[in-house]
Amino acid sequence: MTDAVRVEELVVTYGPVAAVDRVSFQVREAEHLTLLGPSGCGKTTTLRAVAGLERPSGGRIAIGGASVFDGARRIDVPPEARGLSMVFQSYAIWPHMSVAENVAFPFRARGVANSVARPAVARALALVDLAAYADRSATMLSGGQQQRVALARAIAFGTRLVLFDEPLSNLDAQLRLQMREELADLRRRLGFAAIYVTHDQDEAFSLSDRIVLMRGGRIEQQGTPSDLHAAPRTRFAAAFLGVRNIIDADIAHGHATLANGLLLPVRDDGPPGPAAIAFRPGAVVLGRGTPATIERVLFAGDQLQLLLRAGPVDVIAYARPQSGLEEGTTIMWHVAAGDCRVLRE
Amino acid sequence: MKPRAETLLTGALLLLLGWLVMVPAASVLVSGADVTALRRLLSGTAILTNTLLMGAATSLSAVAIGAALALVMARTDLPGRGMLEPLTLLPLYVTPLLTAIAWSWLGSPRGGLVNLVTQRLAGFSLIDLHGAAGVVFVASLAYAPVPFLLIAAGLRAMDPSLEDSARVHGASLRFAFAHVTLPLMLPSALGALVLVFVQTMGLFSIPAVLGVPGGFTVIATEIYRLLNTYPPRLGQAAAWGLVLLAITLLAVLLQNRLLAKRSFVTITGKAFRPRLIAMGRARWLLAGFVWLYIGLAVALPVATLIWASLVNFLTIDPALMAFDLRHFAYVLFTYPKALMAARNSLLLGVVTASLIVALSLGAGWVVVRRRNLGATAVEYLAMAPLAIPSIVLALGVLWTYAGLDLLPIYGTVAILLVAYLAHFMPFGVRALSGALRQLHPELEDAARVSGAGLLHTLRRVVWPLTRPTLAAVWTLVFVLTLQEVSASILLYTSRSVVLSVAMFDLWEAGTLNGLAALGVMQLAITFAALSLLARFRQRGVAA
Repeated sequence: MTDAVRVEELVVTYGPVAAVDRVSFQVREAEHLTLLGPSGCGKTTTLRAVAGLERPSGGRIAIGGASVFDGARRIDVPPEARGLSMVFQSYAIWPHMSVAENVAFPFRARGVANSVARPAVARALALVDLAAYADRSATMLSGGQQQRVALARAIAFGTRLVLFDEPLSNLDAQLRLQMREELADLRRRLGFAAIYVTHDQDEAFSLSDRIVLMRGGRIEQQGTPSDLHAAPRTRFAAAFLGVRNIIDADIAHGHATLANGLLLPVRDDGPPGPAAIAFRPGAVVLGRGTPATIERVLFAGDQLQLLLRAGPVDVIAYARPQSGLEEGTTIMWHVAAGDCRVLRE
Repeated sequence: MKPRAETLLTGALLLLLGWLVMVPAASVLVSGADVTALRRLLSGTAILTNTLLMGAATSLSAVAIGAALALVMARTDLPGRGMLEPLTLLPLYVTPLLTAIAWSWLGSPRGGLVNLVTQRLAGFSLIDLHGAAGVVFVASLAYAPVPFLLIAAGLRAMDPSLEDSARVHGASLRFAFAHVTLPLMLPSALGALVLVFVQTMGLFSIPAVLGVPGGFTVIATEIYRLLNTYPPRLGQAAAWGLVLLAITLLAVLLQNRLLAKRSFVTITGKAFRPRLIAMGRARWLLAGFVWLYIGLAVALPVATLIWASLVNFLTIDPALMAFDLRHFAYVLFTYPKALMAARNSLLLGVVTASLIVALSLGAGWVVVRRRNLGATAVEYLAMAPLAIPSIVLALGVLWTYAGLDLLPIYGTVAILLVAYLAHFMPFGVRALSGALRQLHPELEDAARVSGAGLLHTLRRVVWPLTRPTLAAVWTLVFVLTLQEVSASILLYTSRSVVLSVAMFDLWEAGTLNGLAALGVMQLAITFAALSLLARFRQRGVAA
């Protein structure tokens, strides 16, 4: 089976700066791949290079088996001939067209007959619950509705590949959760392949089949959401994916020695030496183990967030809101060996 | 790699703009660079100092008037501001040629109407507008709207918190104005100063009407004289053109140097609401100043013109005056050039405006969206005519095409078109790049990934969304084309007379009332076009 998208050794430079530096990945048919990373990591540039909106300086891009960019073979297919669609961060709804005209644009631009376009447009608008808005001016819609128009425009033509550039980042928190579910549902029903750019790890975890984590123009790590969640390979990956405790330690014989002399058991068969251990606040078990002082208690809604201090080592842990813990008191804590990762990079 | 449509567009614009701008400039350079001729030209004549004097005095006083108008209009509680602002811009739409002619009727030392009145009442002549003072007076009135627009825009884009923080930290209103507002106004004032200086250095119409009769000759009128002697002395004219070009380029370079040293980040693109200063009783005085400006720059000259087009001859004796339409009839039916000139002018106006709109849409898009080496070159080429006085441009065009069999446009209206396109290009490209910067680039990206090519995207997305700007550019270029004198006067032939040239022709022939009638008709066309634009804008807002 051919891949929906195959990106090999992609390089995009702005002057002397490489915004994307030898990035390779594949997207299989009907797969949702997320490019995740902080701003400036090259994820949007990569996406725009796939769309043909950014011109790479090297590498290869193939869509559905057909080469659309190849630096060595001097192939560069313009965006309009790549046969994909895209949802933009700003929605990019044309204000001089009605909702239906916006959605019908991909048909008109490609010279498709009205008799074919009209039912497809109606179907797409129905899928995003905007059937009643077809003749409205696009500028009269709310942000969420404009987002739906952008979505309808991207799925109406039925391209096998849809690109998403931080599509939910301009919506408020509640709408964002709702659209996330609708998006996942829509993709399952229509079965297109998606490349999705976001800086929000929750969004990436909940929507993706596979995640490519980027940093400084390069791929830091890629894998399924559960792989990445359970086993970040580097300090950066761990920190970006919400592992709040990353502590320098000496690793030897299944134990990590922290700066305060504390020994923690770890499951690790790598070479001994200096490294770091990483564990999520939720993995910290309170009530037994070694002592630490509660430096600060922050009320965070569903839970209390504690800053524990044991000598030079700070640890963040969670506790139930009713637990009655107070700043300045001492508490016992430990982490199970299975919850503690050793990071050597 | 097959070149993308963007690359082809950039390349095509580079060729076209290079041809329109660089070829004439280069031919002035080549034909005028004769050191001995230049030395002979510059010795023993007041022409150069006259020109510099006119440029410096006009630009300084125009900027002073414009800055005062801008401050009054943008920052004080002037009564009737909403109505006064468009009136202040009216001088832009009345060709300086007509303003100068009307003022010469009013203020020539012997026959001037004002002087006739004071002669009769008090026995002396009041004013003498023939000579340097008259030229500078009328030119400052005519060009003041340019600095007014630039400085008012600068004032409105200035963050009021800059002034507020001066006040909070102990500065009086006066101190804050002198130490914060005024220094921040400097860049736009300096920009306006250079712009007006470059325009007036090559100004032909006002010195031709008011200067020459008073013995005040400048480079532009000298170039015209050299080309209209027999045999025409093209080489000497080109040498003068080169002198003019050197001065204006120097002025632009100096401006860039001065502005590059200090960076003023006051203009954020945000629209602020400037704080209005309550002027108390003084606001009526300020209103009087604005009304005086409007009266001197537009109302009085236009009223004189209309009166002259209707009265049997120019007299101050009410008993001798008779009013009818015979001058209009003469111009329309007897004077042979009027109809041809009107047809040529309208044709040139429509074609120039349409081509400028199309070219500036393309060039503006390349400049704003491409941002590569080619785009920078397009920007420089499109903006270069700002530093080239139009009479120099016309000289270059004349020199290029006079003997060019390859493109035999000499003697046709096409040669005027070539000069107009280069001359109005900066205006169109600047307006369109401004409009395109307001347009989110993803609107175009969305069209491209939807399967639309570059041209389709420009036509279906960019064009409709920038239509208000395009319409404004079209109308203003159309109006300015009708007014253009400095380039037209060098390039016309008997078959390609345009309205402004016909008016100058009538002026030289002394057919004053006929000239007034033609002038009134030209004003009517201008204001018809402007009111169409206003209606289009209203409809655009309603839709």
